[in-house]
Amino acid sequence: MNNYNPISALLIFFVFVVLLFIFFRPVKGWFWILRKHFKNNEKTIIEDVLKQLYHFEYSSNKVDMKTLVQVLDYKNASIVEAINKMTINNLIYFESDILKLSEAGRDYALRIVRVHRLWERYLAEKTGFSKTEWHDRAEMMEHKLSHDETNTLAARLGNPKFDPHGDPIPTKTGKMADVIGVELPLLPINTIGRITHIEDEPEIIYKQILAENIHIGSLLRVVENNSTRIVFQSEGEEFKLAPIVAANLTVAAIEKEVVIEDNIARLSSLNENEMARIIGISKESRGESRRRLLDLGFVKGAKISIDMMNPLGEPHAYLIKGTSIALRKDQAAKILIKKSYEYKS
Amino acid sequence: MNTKVKSACEMCAHFNADGLKKLGIHTDNFDFVVALAGNPNTGKSTVFNALTGLRQHTGNWPGKTVTRAEGGFEYNTQKFKLVDLPGTYSLLSTSEDEEAARDFILFGKPNVTVIVVDANRLERNLNLVLQILEITDRVVLCLNLMDEAKRNHISIDVRTLSRDLGIPVVPTSARFSEGIPELIQTISEIANGNIVCKPHKIKSVPNNIEKAVKTLANEIEKEFPNIPNSRWIAFRLLEGDTQIINALKAGQLV
Amino acid sequence: MNQKNIDYIIELSNELRWQIGDDFHDNLTESIYADAANIVKDTVQVDNSKKRFRLDSKIDKIVTSKTFGFPIMFLILGLVLWLTIVGANYPSSLLASLLLDNMHPILKSGAASIGTPWWLDGFLIDGVYLAVAWVIAVMLPPMAIFFPMFTLLEDFGYLPRVAFNLDSLFKKSGAHGKQALTMSMGFGCNAAGVVATRIIDSPRERLIAIITNNFSLCNGRWPTQILIATIFIGAVVPGSYSSIVSLLAVIGVAVLGMGFMFGVSWALSKTLLKGEVSTFNLELPPYRPPRFWKTIYTSLIDRTAIVLWRAIVFAAPAGAVIWLISNIYVGNESIAEWTINSLDSFGFLLGLNGVILLAYIVAIPANEIVIPTILMLTVLVTGIDSGAGAGVMFELDSMNATGDILRAGGWTLLTAINLMLFSLLHNPCSTTIYTIYKETKSTKWTVFASIMPVILGFIVTFLVAQVWRIIF
Repeated sequence: MNNYNPISALLIFFVFVVLLFIFFRPVKGWFWILRKHFKNNEKTIIEDVLKQLYHFEYSSNKVDMKTLVQVLDYKNASIVEAINKMTINNLIYFESDILKLSEAGRDYALRIVRVHRLWERYLAEKTGFSKTEWHDRAEMMEHKLSHDETNTLAARLGNPKFDPHGDPIPTKTGKMADVIGVELPLLPINTIGRITHIEDEPEIIYKQILAENIHIGSLLRVVENNSTRIVFQSEGEEFKLAPIVAANLTVAAIEKEVVIEDNIARLSSLNENEMARIIGISKESRGESRRRLLDLGFVKGAKISIDMMNPLGEPHAYLIKGTSIALRKDQAAKILIKKSYEYKS
Repeated sequence: MNTKVKSACEMCAHFNADGLKKLGIHTDNFDFVVALAGNPNTGKSTVFNALTGLRQHTGNWPGKTVTRAEGGFEYNTQKFKLVDLPGTYSLLSTSEDEEAARDFILFGKPNVTVIVVDANRLERNLNLVLQILEITDRVVLCLNLMDEAKRNHISIDVRTLSRDLGIPVVPTSARFSEGIPELIQTISEIANGNIVCKPHKIKSVPNNIEKAVKTLANEIEKEFPNIPNSRWIAFRLLEGDTQIINALKAGQLV
Repeated sequence: MNQKNIDYIIELSNELRWQIGDDFHDNLTESIYADAANIVKDTVQVDNSKKRFRLDSKIDKIVTSKTFGFPIMFLILGLVLWLTIVGANYPSSLLASLLLDNMHPILKSGAASIGTPWWLDGFLIDGVYLAVAWVIAVMLPPMAIFFPMFTLLEDFGYLPRVAFNLDSLFKKSGAHGKQALTMSMGFGCNAAGVVATRIIDSPRERLIAIITNNFSLCNGRWPTQILIATIFIGAVVPGSYSSIVSLLAVIGVAVLGMGFMFGVSWALSKTLLKGEVSTFNLELPPYRPPRFWKTIYTSLIDRTAIVLWRAIVFAAPAGAVIWLISNIYVGNESIAEWTINSLDSFGFLLGLNGVILLAYIVAIPANEIVIPTILMLTVLVTGIDSGAGAGVMFELDSMNATGDILRAGGWTLLTAINLMLFSLLHNPCSTTIYTIYKETKSTKWTVFASIMPVILGFIVTFLVAQVWRIIF
């Protein structure tokens, strides 16, 4: 047994590892692709068509077969087959070559949208999945949850009105709250507004927005708006976006007289000798993390200052209500403060 | 109400030192159950040890006692079982510790709940106190770490605090066993109904919420007259707390 | 109680919740704190004029400073570990000579004088008693030194500052700064380290800390590392360097363990555990002078005694198994020999041998008995004239003699290196596995935490063996 060849042993090992990688690497592994392929049954396709039609209808756009085939990632033949079946079942109908949702089709579509948005909300509140994963996971889940399971989930989440991106969640009966506001590039200079919605599709643009640390619910003031870029100030920082990226932000304009808090900054910008008062916690801090911060006394009106700087740059320890509590930078960025002019003694 | 805590000396006269027996972990056939709640790092375990004569580990480290410790003492021939709850900042979140602490106060129905607070950080600690006062009305506040507060030149008007909270307040320095006899005396008086508390209820609630809470609390009281914590149940229902909804359905809240 | 009314109440609450919106929790917390602030305004007075010199913040300035923070930390941890390893030597050898060299023969002759049959006496005294005695002798002294020191630092309030200083390193691998402490605790005992993860209140980070605690080289494994490094690695270099080189080798293995801890933490947080809730908060409590004797008493009772008791409970059956497999014959081979022969080729592939693999299987209950078991089994297989008989674990006072036996068993430098690696990367001991189950209450995570390190160990030793054989 002692005269085997170590080189071939190594080779066999590496071939084995490479095979494992090809099969099971995230998303593109053969295993996942095969699994996805087998799951693309008719129900999934029908539901995806309905959802797409609903989104087109919601944004007042018209859609024909050609556009639909382009936006859906299925074989043309399967789509055509699904459309035929849906027409027979009166879920959709054609007006010349424009596809329209019937009453029943819209109900069905709303149910799918409800599951999708509820699941995103669930992921945001009750799990630790990162934002970039919410959408894809909800895309899978929307075909899985039954009607009753959806209602139980909604009840568990406290029947929320909005998903974490600011999209309204339809109720059991199809009621939906309104999203107020317009796309950011439509706002003139010096408008003050609040971000009410961040679109999570397409993914490339959503990732850019995330990378900029733009938070939903933030107040902003437009500083510059032209065809090459849009600049706005928010929470003590300045953001520069390309118009195509900015178009994915919905902002509700606020009358200047109504704006109560100005000079809002993020806690992460507090310096060692400054004092501040907490204005609130950004909507971007969710679920358990938000509750913990509130429980620890990071509430409106509380006085706060830096107690200890970290030798490695983070987390800093903050003195709040008599206790020193360390927060990481990303947490501190989600706490809004107003710096006061007194200095720490 | 009866504010028993006027001065330590006066208390001593009431205190029957011969009637006290520390029972350690022997807690059979007890007459009363006492829950010990408090923020992490307030010396809760030290108070527990001082009351029971046990030596549970007390770390200077939030979140040390995760498992529930039990002990007991006997005072004036009545046996008290003491349950040390996990230290928590609040009862509103859903972490394991907080659920354990809340469930015991809610479903375990202790005869007395002792809340241990750090006198140096009263404001932060009151968050938990005010929440517990919504759940139960048989509470004594143990104002611990008075020695440290004195060193930090913090003085606390115990009588006003007791009046504002509507419960007896006992200042202690559990590390040096100061105030422990008074605490035992107060626990015993609440357990025997000699002190009746009128606990503070959360006031500064925004109008729209207060209205919703009132509507809901009224409905709950209609269904369960004499329920002491209808407001708190209303809070939890508005929060969508599935555990409380289920308990309500199963009738476990009365 | 009327079910219909209850349903109405719940329906009403849903309706009202929809009306008041998503901010209910925020509003409620804010109102509670507002009430608290009002009460405090009435009752608390702080005399700022006499503001004392704040010793706390002075200490904090030093222990979290850029210049002194890290040196102080390493100094303290190094000192604690050094005191543990060096300080435990004397009581350990005292206990060993008492329980193993003196007690064992006395028990044997006592059993012989009352005419106990050989199998009962072998099973109970050579098997069960010896394993328990060994665990006590090796485990008790370091734990009795390590835990009280650790507890003193904890009670003083220094440990949260360590977590504070190191958090950003741990954040990079998706873990919590407090894992620095549970990891250090693991250097004493992995089971205690796993219990200590209770201080981490974020579910994801706590699971990470539990699963990776095994990468901290525990008390049961330090002696193995030191022994093997001294015999084999120290022997490679000239005598004057041998002790420093073997010391560096042991430290290298411990550091490698930390590397694996960071790497596996990172991988877990990005894959299996990415869906678990993750929060961060770290309260830095004021310093409090620890009460020395009380702390020592409670840490002995709370930590040392409990862990030791569990280890004994698990070691006793292990001793019995070791004795049985060496003394029960199937055909003309004992079970031990048969297993060793069938494991040998797999062992060879990993640069180890069948004896080592079998020793690690039967020594799952306690790492302390790995070396005695290996020696006993090696003697059994090679048939050289040494040791104390089949199924009787032993150790030799002389390192040279130990080395001779191992070399006779076919050990090379590669075997030694891979044994050190495998001692770092293998399943946690059964006490730890049991503790992991109790802490996670999940069979899935317990199985994962037990198997994952062995697979890593197989892969690493396999790679090292192949590369070694290609080069040399």
